[in-house]
Amino acid sequence: MTRINLVLLLAVVASAIYLVNIQYESRRLFTELDKAQAEERRLVSEYERLKVEKRAQATSARVERIAREKLQMRLVLPAITSYVSYNESGAPTAKNEAKGVVNAASAAHEGAKP
Amino acid sequence: MSRSVRYTSSPLLASRTPVWRSKFVVAAIALAFGGLVARAAYIQVYANDFFQRQGEVRFARTLELPANRGRILDRNGLILASSVPAPSIWAIPDDVDTDGDKDKLRTLAKLLEMPYADLAKKLDEDKTFVWVKRQVDADIAKEIAALNIKGIYQRKEYKRQYPEGEAAAHIVGFTNVEDNGQEGVELLYNKRLLGKPGMRHVIKDRLGRAVEDRGEIVPPVDGQDIQLSVDSKVQFFAYEKLKEAVLLQRAQAGSIVVLDAITGEVLALANYPSYVPDKRQNLTGAQLRNRALTDTFEPGSVMKPFTIGMALDKGKVKPTTIIDTAPGSWTITGATIHDSHPHGALTVQQVIQVSSNVGTAKIAMQMPASDMWETFSKAGFGQKPQVEFPGVVSGRLRPYAKWRPIEQATQSYGYGLSASLFQMVRSYTVFSHDGQIIPATLMKSSEPAVGVNVFSAATAAEVRKMLQMAAGPGGTGPKAQTQGYSVGGKSGTAYKQVGKGYGSDGNRKYRSWFVGMAPIDKPRLIVGVMLDEPSAGRYFGGDVAAPVFSETVQQTLRMMNVQPDMAVKPNIVASAVEESF
Repeated sequence: MTRINLVLLLAVVASAIYLVNIQYESRRLFTELDKAQAEERRLVSEYERLKVEKRAQATSARVERIAREKLQMRLVLPAITSYVSYNESGAPTAKNEAKGVVNAASAAHEGAKP
Repeated sequence: MSRSVRYTSSPLLASRTPVWRSKFVVAAIALAFGGLVARAAYIQVYANDFFQRQGEVRFARTLELPANRGRILDRNGLILASSVPAPSIWAIPDDVDTDGDKDKLRTLAKLLEMPYADLAKKLDEDKTFVWVKRQVDADIAKEIAALNIKGIYQRKEYKRQYPEGEAAAHIVGFTNVEDNGQEGVELLYNKRLLGKPGMRHVIKDRLGRAVEDRGEIVPPVDGQDIQLSVDSKVQFFAYEKLKEAVLLQRAQAGSIVVLDAITGEVLALANYPSYVPDKRQNLTGAQLRNRALTDTFEPGSVMKPFTIGMALDKGKVKPTTIIDTAPGSWTITGATIHDSHPHGALTVQQVIQVSSNVGTAKIAMQMPASDMWETFSKAGFGQKPQVEFPGVVSGRLRPYAKWRPIEQATQSYGYGLSASLFQMVRSYTVFSHDGQIIPATLMKSSEPAVGVNVFSAATAAEVRKMLQMAAGPGGTGPKAQTQGYSVGGKSGTAYKQVGKGYGSDGNRKYRSWFVGMAPIDKPRLIVGVMLDEPSAGRYFGGDVAAPVFSETVQQTLRMMNVQPDMAVKPNIVASAVEESF
């Protein structure tokens, strides 16, 4: 009888210690999870911030300035545009008698002297 | 040696103990137990709440889960406004070691772009909490955190960023430091943009780490994104062209509105002077005003197409009917109206083309005032535009019963009533949309708008033809012409009211308008331009406002992939390239 009691006592003590350990472990993991979630939120907002920054680098104002000043580009006008429309059979036909491939370089060159 | 006494024979036992003593001890112990029970009952039952609360104060915390404010996007999903983290720097002045950390504090001042003296003054205050600087850039905040100065802390906050800057400022608006909308769309849709913060209850340990969730977590609900009908590219160059014109003509201000003639979407709405929404120091009221929507003026000649359209619709005149406008003035009940140049006999078409006040008034006087009032009202004058926007105004159209004959005449060419530029542009959908006025919207929509009939489709087409003439050679606005696209529109040069009248010759102030559409047969765009007090010598709407119209239409139509409807002399040298397989 005493032996059984002793075994039970040991079992209770062991389970109690195990419980404490598990509780500790669960709290530790919870903290870690919490940290990871905070990190996730931080990264998401950082991503958002970088997206805005990327957009700010690509605004029309900046693109236009660089295109004009650095790359010496000009506006496209209908006079130097070839409009291509599709007819019913699906084959492309070009307007303005500009059939085939337009040599873009020469077009730009011609457009420069009005 | 000591005398030993056996316990049982101790003389002390011989004496009889009084019974009350044992009873007293028992009673005392019972009382003590009673006390414990009472205390236990007090703690467990009576004052339970208090102790529970006290316990929770020591380990339970309620954390707020912040919700993000929604973004504002343009029609292509590009960001017009978005919240980014911008930590605020605060300090406990007593904890800061101003002598020992002097070098670090100098670096801090430099990072915050504030003079060291200012920083020192803030840290010298006798408070337990001081904002050092609110909402600094995330990168700078990181560097500050790396400095690790004692007594300097950061608080997580968000700030709005507006990549488009001043070009879209009047539409998008801005928020205050508390993230509440103050102007524009930010204010209009504040409720939808604002999220709902969530909440969670946690138990924290000695080190302040959350170790357990308690109860339910209320997840945060982020604010909705708002997608506008605005196209940021159109918005940008409309603003740029307007700005150039305002500066060139030395005008007080200017506005431009670009409307999609099919869906009624606002593609661009800009005013100059403008401001940069996230740098609002020294902001003046003039910069803040969204003139296109909130300021109303007498439209002047821009009104004439409505009068003519009405006369055509009622069958009073035909486009070819001759109206005698000689000698350039006409007297009605004692008051005389003038044309800026005398013209003689004109057809109805030419009345619009050369913008004759006398001709328009003569046509208008053939119709009853009530009809005119009704048509103008239907076209949106004196009515609140259906577009929701902070500060939007309805303009003024007086009830016809109070019109005197001269007033009916002047209103036919745009004096004596008032409208905002936005209203004017919207009202022109009557001509672009087969006689129907369509609601304008700031929200993206892909369906063609459903309108309300004002004129017949045939009348609208006739008026469009006249508008094309007015914007062509021999008209008042030939500078509205574009390459490749047929345009039509009406210029207007209205005298500004100065005191009670319109100023005397040589001392007049003008407001120059141009409202038009393109391509004229099947309009895709309606563009309205208004310049306030151009004072560089030229002031006719056809001279100062029409060029802005032309450039805006040119670029917008090309961007919308609209094929030119007029022959263009191609400047392209095509060279066939051998196809390779």
